[in-house]
Amino acid sequence: MATMDKINDLYARKRKAELGGGEERIEKQHASGKKTARERILMLMDPNSFVEMDAFVETRSIEFGMQKKKIPGDGVVTGYGTVNGRLVYISSQDFTVIGGSLGEMHAAKITKVMDMAVKMGAPFISINDSGGARIEEGIDALKGFGEIFYRNTIASGVIPQISVIMGPCAGGAVYSPAITDFVFMVEKTSQMFITGPQVIKAVTGEDVTFEELGGAAAHNTTSGVAHFKSASEEDCIRDIKRLLSFLPDNNLSDSELIDCTDDVNRLSDELNAIIPDEPNRPYDMKKVVTTVLDNYDFLEVHEGFAKNIIVGFGRVNGRTVGIIANQPQVNAGVLDVNSSDKAARFVRFCDAFNIPLVTFTDVPGYLPGVEQEHSGIIRHGAKLLYAFSEATVPKINIIVRKAYGGAYIAMNSKHLGADIVFAWPSAEIAVMGPEGAANIIFRKDIASSDDPISFREEKIREYREKFSNPYIAASRGYVDDVIEPAATRIRVAGALEMLTSKREARPSKKHGNIPL
Amino acid sequence: MRKFVINVNGNRYEVEVEEVGGSVNAVQPAAAPVQAAPAEPAQPVQKAEAPAAPKPAANSSAPAGAVKITAPMPGTILDIKVKTGDQVKKGDILLILEAMKMENEIVSPQDGVIASVNTSKGASVNSGDLLLSING
Repeated sequence: MATMDKINDLYARKRKAELGGGEERIEKQHASGKKTARERILMLMDPNSFVEMDAFVETRSIEFGMQKKKIPGDGVVTGYGTVNGRLVYISSQDFTVIGGSLGEMHAAKITKVMDMAVKMGAPFISINDSGGARIEEGIDALKGFGEIFYRNTIASGVIPQISVIMGPCAGGAVYSPAITDFVFMVEKTSQMFITGPQVIKAVTGEDVTFEELGGAAAHNTTSGVAHFKSASEEDCIRDIKRLLSFLPDNNLSDSELIDCTDDVNRLSDELNAIIPDEPNRPYDMKKVVTTVLDNYDFLEVHEGFAKNIIVGFGRVNGRTVGIIANQPQVNAGVLDVNSSDKAARFVRFCDAFNIPLVTFTDVPGYLPGVEQEHSGIIRHGAKLLYAFSEATVPKINIIVRKAYGGAYIAMNSKHLGADIVFAWPSAEIAVMGPEGAANIIFRKDIASSDDPISFREEKIREYREKFSNPYIAASRGYVDDVIEPAATRIRVAGALEMLTSKREARPSKKHGNIPL
Repeated sequence: MRKFVINVNGNRYEVEVEEVGGSVNAVQPAAAPVQAAPAEPAQPVQKAEAPAAPKPAANSSAPAGAVKITAPMPGTILDIKVKTGDQVKKGDILLILEAMKMENEIVSPQDGVIASVNTSKGASVNSGDLLLSING
């Protein structure tokens, strides 16, 4: 073969690999509202930046006619490129090749780019669209999954890992996304579950559709498995880019510092009026959060799950911050099993990646009830205390209104190592609410009083006036300063600036034992 | 003659039902509605196996296919802002649930028509209790 023929042969081989499962299957993929593995990568990456690796890798299996089914690339496209100028590594499963099923070599391609992502310290993005393990390859397929999970774990806290579900992701395959930091799902075309509707029907008799069981809505609201839900693949890619913009490349680098186009000294008079005069009335904490951030720009994570707590990313003076805020508008803003889990995991992500924490506290307490106690609110609530205590990034807390009891301690209090705690004049920092406290402290007096009802009211009022304010805590130094709500942005920006050089040493240990 | 107790929007009715040739044609509400006891939320005596049983307007189950709104946490129903048949939009306030010393607004998750109201003002509810249902 002449050299020119060899070069032509190369391009012919590359074209074959690029076609994956062939035009017919690509059409079928498009008809089901999905893009191909390659199209997805090109949508995400900067133009002409994607470099493919391992396009010629094929399955080594010869069992069950695999030799005839084999296609160069083995059902996954892998490589690297840039997103908004920053290096990322990617794997994207190709549903047109043997259903995107995961075999030995398919997995080896993925683990190769994962290893590179860790060495180079760049985010890893995994697009999932696969029927699951390739049964023909037997336990070699399982080995492949295991090696991916292992690397997900080793890379956890070293590089940001993002999983994108753009098709089926079932059985063992779900555990790679579950270990990664963020899971994106697309409405109607993506599903995640351990066992599918048929197995469930056979075992428990329950009738459920794929979408009800493991669709984007189910995992973004009920199970909390997914963090973001998008209406289309295009929207999903846009959301991934937005998330990446807030994150650093790895655990040793800082997030990109953006030129702040919003006045750091902007006074927000609307915050002076946001807290209702009656302490039992809700308001929208998201307004408080966005008002403090640059350009009112807030990327909420887990928007539909455990809505009684808000978590997400924003910037203050151009620097990324992680926000955790109680939401009095939903379930009174209580801490419960799910909201504790949601917030604790977010706190740990921020701490791992040098993102300062800014919390807004308005919490009436932990949610009472048999259901919560038996679901392990003790165990789950403990995660939040653990996560805040463990975090060594700058920690700022703004107590906006209620901060009662154990929930006060859990919400980034001074006692768990918060660097700066501000309180608004509307803050009520106490061991418990005035009603409960009056009932306990004055139980005998109330019982023996001539008019127990008005006597109780009077004692509640007395307690409220005396203790439901920020000044007792401020007199102890648990609150560093009481500030006018309108000045919150300025004060937070100033505190963050002061805290940029924060270093906090901890005893060396293998790892702690967070109450999982 | 069979006797049923029915809760409609928090009002308690005693209803007597007479079976004539296997089909229903006599449903007589008792003269005056009896105010529902606050401690007993809408849980009418339901022995509805008999084909002659009337379909209560409100009970502990939602009409088939309707979206159920359940209590997100234990508390007391302070106010009900809608009644059966009302048009609601996504985000409209349906009820106020007092819990954790807070007035929690329970808002509609979607546009639709109220298919049933299954609780009453003053009722104490537990997490997961059916409050009302909406037909989308």
